[in-house]
Amino acid sequence: MYSVESDELISCPVCEAVNIDKRQNNICRRCGSKIYHHRSTPTEKSWAYLLTAMIFYVPANLYPMMIIEQFGSESGSTILEGVIELWNHGDYPIALIILVASIFVPIAKFIMLAYLLISVRNPLNNNTKINKHKVYYFTELIGPWSMVDVFVVGILAGLVHLSSVKIVAGAASTAFALTVFFTLLAAHAFDTKLIRGSR
Amino acid sequence: MKIELNSEDELDAYIICHKCHTLNREVLIENGSKALCCSQCGIVLYHHDNGFLDRGLALSISGLIFFIIANVFPLVQINILGSESFISILSMIDSLIASGYYLVGLFIIYLIFIFPLMIFLLYFFIFYLMKRGTREILVGNLLILLARIIPWHMSDIFLISILVAIVKLLGIADIHLGVSFWALIIFVLIDIYFTRNIHLRELWMLRKQVYQLSEEEAPHVLG
Repeated sequence: MYSVESDELISCPVCEAVNIDKRQNNICRRCGSKIYHHRSTPTEKSWAYLLTAMIFYVPANLYPMMIIEQFGSESGSTILEGVIELWNHGDYPIALIILVASIFVPIAKFIMLAYLLISVRNPLNNNTKINKHKVYYFTELIGPWSMVDVFVVGILAGLVHLSSVKIVAGAASTAFALTVFFTLLAAHAFDTKLIRGSR
Repeated sequence: MKIELNSEDELDAYIICHKCHTLNREVLIENGSKALCCSQCGIVLYHHDNGFLDRGLALSISGLIFFIIANVFPLVQINILGSESFISILSMIDSLIASGYYLVGLFIIYLIFIFPLMIFLLYFFIFYLMKRGTREILVGNLLILLARIIPWHMSDIFLISILVAIVKLLGIADIHLGVSFWALIIFVLIDIYFTRNIHLRELWMLRKQVYQLSEEEAPHVLG
């Protein structure tokens, strides 16, 4: 016969089974995966991934994303230049999609993850006005959408490969893909059990 | 709130909402209906669906068929000033790698080819093995693998990217959409149905149900 407080129940990050939090060495009763509980370094791993992502975001914005070679002349455009160009062309919806996916989404993710990581180690954690579980859910939801620009460049580079016009991927595409990759890793490494007092 | 349990397995009746982390207890609901979390977050917690296994198996097979079509034929064909070119998913990755973008090419091949293929193969094998009622441990391992890959597949985002790329080219080229494009749309729709309607927890519960039943039936078959 067990008797547990509902606060002591946690869900397995892999199979979502409800488990009793034994404080250390939690192993999911259903799938056998480790349910992390790093006592000494709870947020460091996630911080490391997040900072890496932020560092890669700088070259992603400074270098050209896409280079157009037309009749011998080359012209590269960064993410922001690409958005402005589309806007001036009158392609407002597409300009907005790229703006949101490549600029707003990564920055929003940086801010939300940094907020989560800072707040769980601080007295801010007792602030229950903002449901941090929802913030985390939101970062996971919007995260992958910043890949749109990388895919678009990939498609255009594969498609426009003619003698007169050629589109080549720029250095920023690698940096940007790495940014997205590391923000996704940072979100995965975040231990949601650090969030307290929201149930 | 105190919860009394006879064994840890009784915790299967509880669900922690993955959006707002409230603790919910599963109640029996009508066939074909779904249970929502609190009015604030409104997320679907679980469904009750008697044809779950058969529908999952059928859809995973059709998903695989459309995935193959989407990868074999050209996606988009363009015509600029008399010269033509086309891409398929694989030729796009090939050209990225050929022009020296190994890392981006590698990412894209995983995100839109290897992971979606693996996910649908995993769904197929999981449903198929549960339908036959064999290999309980293997099904468990496949479910763990599935849970680890699901966050990393981006077919839906790729589809939106194709649309964006097409709009960018509208002014300068004649564009013809290939067979693959339509196949990819159907594949993504099936994929969205799967992510919306098949939760991992339900697959685990189905596994429990299937293999408990077959254990109880076994003596009857022998006797």
